[in-house]
Amino acid sequence: MLSRTAHQLIRRAATRAFSSEAAASTQVTLNFALPDETVYNGASVYQVIIPGTEGEYGVTANHVPYVAQLKPGVLQILHEEVGGGEPEKYFVAGGYALTHANSVTDVICPEAVKLDDIDATAVSSQFEKAKSAYASAASGSLEQAEAQVEMEVNKAMGLAIGVNLS
Amino acid sequence: MSPPVTTYWRLAGMSYLQYVNKAASTMRGALKEPAKTKAMAQEAFQYNTSVWSGGVQGAKTPVTSMGAAGK
Repeated sequence: MLSRTAHQLIRRAATRAFSSEAAASTQVTLNFALPDETVYNGASVYQVIIPGTEGEYGVTANHVPYVAQLKPGVLQILHEEVGGGEPEKYFVAGGYALTHANSVTDVICPEAVKLDDIDATAVSSQFEKAKSAYASAASGSLEQAEAQVEMEVNKAMGLAIGVNLS
Repeated sequence: MSPPVTTYWRLAGMSYLQYVNKAASTMRGALKEPAKTKAMAQEAFQYNTSVWSGGVQGAKTPVTSMGAAGK
């Protein structure tokens, strides 16, 4: 009986310690860097939604450590909790994202722009050009792979701004 | 044994850097001004080579091919 009470007390204390710790850090520290610019350095945000090659995922405080290669897609930054305004959106060409154990997330990209800077007409024309280059290139050649990369990037850009390409 | 999981671009002989630079370059091509000019400026680069002899740097010549520069 005594040991059971002690056990319950320890469990309660442990729960309290855990919840107060969780309450203390609800923010993610974001470092977002491009070769020529530091977009965010140690910014405190609520969530970062990352386009990983193996799927899109969101990082909030106390996320498990994780490393992911990025695919061309939209990186979303939620400065405040859900309902606290529109997320800030960047289109990224690729790169890497690293989430550390202490809620620090690093995003490194070769290039990133705001969605407003994407030209819908250019996306469509580049996609068509890449599509015909892909069709005329020899199967398995470097030219074909390059055309496929172009197709994928333009398709992802189209998707981000609401232009459907196929 | 199953073949190692890889990507089409790696199978075609591209490295990760070649792949990601191609993706970034494609992306820069579809931007509106003035973002396009700013982004394109990041892409251009060139190497020069020069030979030092007797503590004096020789004339600089632009490298046209990385393959040739290593010889």
